[in-house]
Amino acid sequence: MLFPTIDFAIFFAVVFTVQWLLVPYAGPWKAFMVVASYVFYAWWDWRFIFLLAASTGIAFVGGRFVHPATGTRRKVFLWTTLALLLGLLVWFKYFGFLAVNIDNVTHALGLGRPVPLLAITLPIGISFFTFMAISYVVDIYRGVLRPARGIDITVYLAFFPHLIAGPIVRGTELLPQIRAMRNPRDVHYVEAFWLIAAGLAKKVVLSSYLSAYVVDPVFADPHQHSALEVLFAIWGYAVQIYADFSGYTDIAIGLALLMGFRFPVNFRRPYTSIDLQDFWRRWHITLSFWLRDYLYIPLGGNRGSESRVSLNILITMLLGGLWHGASWTFVIWGAYHGVGQIIGRRRRAARVAKGLPAEPVGRARVAWARFVTFQVVCLGWLFFRADSLGTVFAMLGRLVVGWGSSPLVTPLAALAILAGIASQYLPDRWLSVVLRGFADRRPVVQGGILGLVLLAITTLGPQGVAPFIYYRF
Amino acid sequence: MTEPRPPDADSDFVPYDWSDPDSYRPPSSRPQPPDHGGHAFWERLPFPGVPWPRVLLIGIVCFGLWFLLDAPSLQHSAQTSPIGTRRTVSLDVVGPVAALSRAVGADNVVGWTDEAFGRSPGGGPALAVPIHRAKPKPLPPTTSGTTTPTTLPLLNYHPTPATPLRVLIVGDSVGLDLGQPLVNALGAFGDVTTYLDGRIDTGLTRPDYFNWPAELQVDLANQQPQLVVVMIGANDPQGIVTQDGSIRFGQPGWDEAYSARVSAFIAEANAAGAHVLWVGMPPMQDPGLDAELKHLNGLVQAQVAETKYGGAAYLSSVPALGDQHHYYTAYLPDSSGAVTNVRTPDGIHLTPAGGARLAAAVVAAMEGQLHIQLVPGIGGTSRRS
Repeated sequence: MLFPTIDFAIFFAVVFTVQWLLVPYAGPWKAFMVVASYVFYAWWDWRFIFLLAASTGIAFVGGRFVHPATGTRRKVFLWTTLALLLGLLVWFKYFGFLAVNIDNVTHALGLGRPVPLLAITLPIGISFFTFMAISYVVDIYRGVLRPARGIDITVYLAFFPHLIAGPIVRGTELLPQIRAMRNPRDVHYVEAFWLIAAGLAKKVVLSSYLSAYVVDPVFADPHQHSALEVLFAIWGYAVQIYADFSGYTDIAIGLALLMGFRFPVNFRRPYTSIDLQDFWRRWHITLSFWLRDYLYIPLGGNRGSESRVSLNILITMLLGGLWHGASWTFVIWGAYHGVGQIIGRRRRAARVAKGLPAEPVGRARVAWARFVTFQVVCLGWLFFRADSLGTVFAMLGRLVVGWGSSPLVTPLAALAILAGIASQYLPDRWLSVVLRGFADRRPVVQGGILGLVLLAITTLGPQGVAPFIYYRF
Repeated sequence: MTEPRPPDADSDFVPYDWSDPDSYRPPSSRPQPPDHGGHAFWERLPFPGVPWPRVLLIGIVCFGLWFLLDAPSLQHSAQTSPIGTRRTVSLDVVGPVAALSRAVGADNVVGWTDEAFGRSPGGGPALAVPIHRAKPKPLPPTTSGTTTPTTLPLLNYHPTPATPLRVLIVGDSVGLDLGQPLVNALGAFGDVTTYLDGRIDTGLTRPDYFNWPAELQVDLANQQPQLVVVMIGANDPQGIVTQDGSIRFGQPGWDEAYSARVSAFIAEANAAGAHVLWVGMPPMQDPGLDAELKHLNGLVQAQVAETKYGGAAYLSSVPALGDQHHYYTAYLPDSSGAVTNVRTPDGIHLTPAGGARLAAAVVAAMEGQLHIQLVPGIGGTSRRS
């Protein structure tokens, strides 16, 4: 079940009402939320609820074993739990990728084909709930979290707003909220409706338009498009992926807020970044901080020699790239960002050594840094979006020699790209004034305003929110 | 209402009596917004929270107004949805609201917007709207460009710069997976002009949703192809809408109705002087869908065999995309022996490598079955709807 659908709207209306009615009753509330979340997950493919349950079971049992153990036993329990959790992830997400590459190497070396090539369906959301389960067990190992009751961890991992596409909420952030009483008279609806409306507009209107009319046609056949179209497709994809992903997580955060839960913010104006390090503090924040806390720091973090730190950054970004998908293009994308961060780090160190400020100072310098960073990020997106390196090189080649007409470069496409970037520079106070105007209205008027906003989104969106037909594809 | 449960010994749960608003006591350690290096502006807004029934009221008004204003579009979507209980219930629910919307003129809001954006009322498969359609260019005379079917088949055709082979490729989403690699493959032959018209989420069963015969008519008129490569069917195992009503997939009459559409589709191309090469659906990972599409492939194959003047040929995609036992496989070795992934994770669509593999089979069929003499070279053109 995806958020921008009629099915989900009905589902959420029921869940919202029942869960608030059940708030005074901890046990029934938790049981209801588990059932609702599993129904939400099963809507896509019921068989994979067993996978979700298995991950939950492993994390629960692992946490119970790790917590009281000491010394070597504690480490053994931790690594066993992590191996099981990562084993599921590798099996479902990376087996095909690994098998093909191993097969090709062994075949080239004349060692036959020892690895069976199985077609394994990728369960939706597995990367997210596996990372959440890992954070839970590692936090127990580190002593910052107590083992949760079975029902609590089941709600924590299955809680439907974050289940499909994050944000990656840690046990330390969500478990206390699951255990605590939420005030049914304190629903922060202004922020929630803002997030949901903005998220829907970004996902249904902006992302869908750019995808269908600019990005997909060019990436499908770069040779048939001009340099300007290729440039628009690359910029367009930067806006599309931001609008799509941040839109989805904004909706998730808004839905959780309507039910009285606070999720961490996941995107914070990423295209205003002044360098790649800044970018990763603003883009998919819950993932980058997860990678920092559960991978980079255990690897050694900033400790050690400069080359050791660089290696830690590179390993973290390589694995971060692979987390996004089982393909060499994602690995290259991760390496690209890793190398970019290492270069940025050394540049900053060199500037400080010369007595210069580490970051650009002055409007012109900041604007230039933002412009350059955006282009660097866009070049990275090329690897992220392309289905193969051949497409990457074809796109880059057309950027140089792609003469000809550019029918895809329309004022509307330019406006969409510009809107996607400019929206990140809107002053907070402007948005606050708009929301203040909304908050001061009567409930019926507020409902009317939201109804018109919803109508605008469904009317302007390529498919509306009623994908009744041919849903299978 | 039963008494609230006592707090768990292991949690910070605080009981709350609904009937007494003052009974709420915040937990001892109220959760704070998580801090990941900063906050978004909305996390610091000063607006106070409200009781959840007020939020529910706002939501009801919001959806109620939207439902009233957009009901005709929703009704259209429901009408074009797959035949079944869900469609029936949707129509029963949406129908009266759509009637009310029209009666009070509320539907005009969406109508004006559609008009402003130049769209057909009621929406439709918007993502299938042509990305851009190049104006038809004057075409050189051809040896088989008449509308007399007796000029078919397109055997022993030798494209030249003066008489290039014009190929129209039409398909659903799986057809699109073949279409782009086929455009690329045919681009290696100098005297071939290709035009790709792929429409996701479409098929022959539901012309009320997307009318392929009408689309083909436009394509035939604009492109004047000599060969139409068709790959349609992945979405078709569902209820078929006919003039007399609807027939569920698998019920008596469905096969006849679908076969008639396939036959008419081929005849339409033949009447415009184009030969048809129909590419069957590949094996599917889901056994149910696989069996359904095998059945459809059989119906298509039978219709192709009955085509007059040899105006159509059928190409099974199983040899190109099936394993040694003709079953579904996601991995196949290429010419160098290296294994590549030919199917997407959904077990339905083709990866670019899979599409290229099937495109090579189509090119081979054009040369082998249709005896088109393709000569490697550069200079061919391609367009895409």
